[in-house]
Amino acid sequence: MADPNASVPIGKGAADRARAPESDRALPNAWLVVALAWIVPGAGHLMVGRMRKAVMFCAALMLMTSIGLAFGGRLFPFQMSEPLVFLAAVAQWALLVPRLVAEMAGWGQGRVVAITYEYGNTFLIVAGLLNLLVMFDAFDRARGRRRS
Amino acid sequence: MTTHLGVMILFAACVAGVFGALLREEPREELRLAARIFTGLVFGAYALGWVMYVAFR
Repeated sequence: MADPNASVPIGKGAADRARAPESDRALPNAWLVVALAWIVPGAGHLMVGRMRKAVMFCAALMLMTSIGLAFGGRLFPFQMSEPLVFLAAVAQWALLVPRLVAEMAGWGQGRVVAITYEYGNTFLIVAGLLNLLVMFDAFDRARGRRRS
Repeated sequence: MTTHLGVMILFAACVAGVFGALLREEPREELRLAARIFTGLVFGAYALGWVMYVAFR
């Protein structure tokens, strides 16, 4: 009787053995995929061949960032004395290029008197947090842990 | 669109779309999950709003 794990090299971990060889296509470097997903939302999924998901993530996260900025949300600085501001900054930096572009363009100063200020902050922070999940998903796909 | 409900619908649509694409593989399943999440977020918040209104007025 043939060994079902015959093609799996000896010495690989359980997670590696659990992977099904669904595709002969070589997967890209997982860390490169994560880096790209961090720089531009959806780029990681583009690297692993999930074009539709990449477009969806890019569109949704860019839209959320744009709405957040249009609503007068603030791009928070890394401020260790204010833990919540620090955490908000960490979340916002999870979207690298949109964050940098907005900052260089002078957007995201935060209009505190605007009725939509807190909504804007929520959109900006949640967009970053969602991109963290997208980055994890892209990493898993690049490692072959998810169908890609 | 600066009403609470309008912004909430916009937010729920974006979040539901991302989670639908993250958690399902087939387009039809993605859409179904996104619709469920969207409905849950909007109606959940609406119901919670009424509960708080009744409880704390």
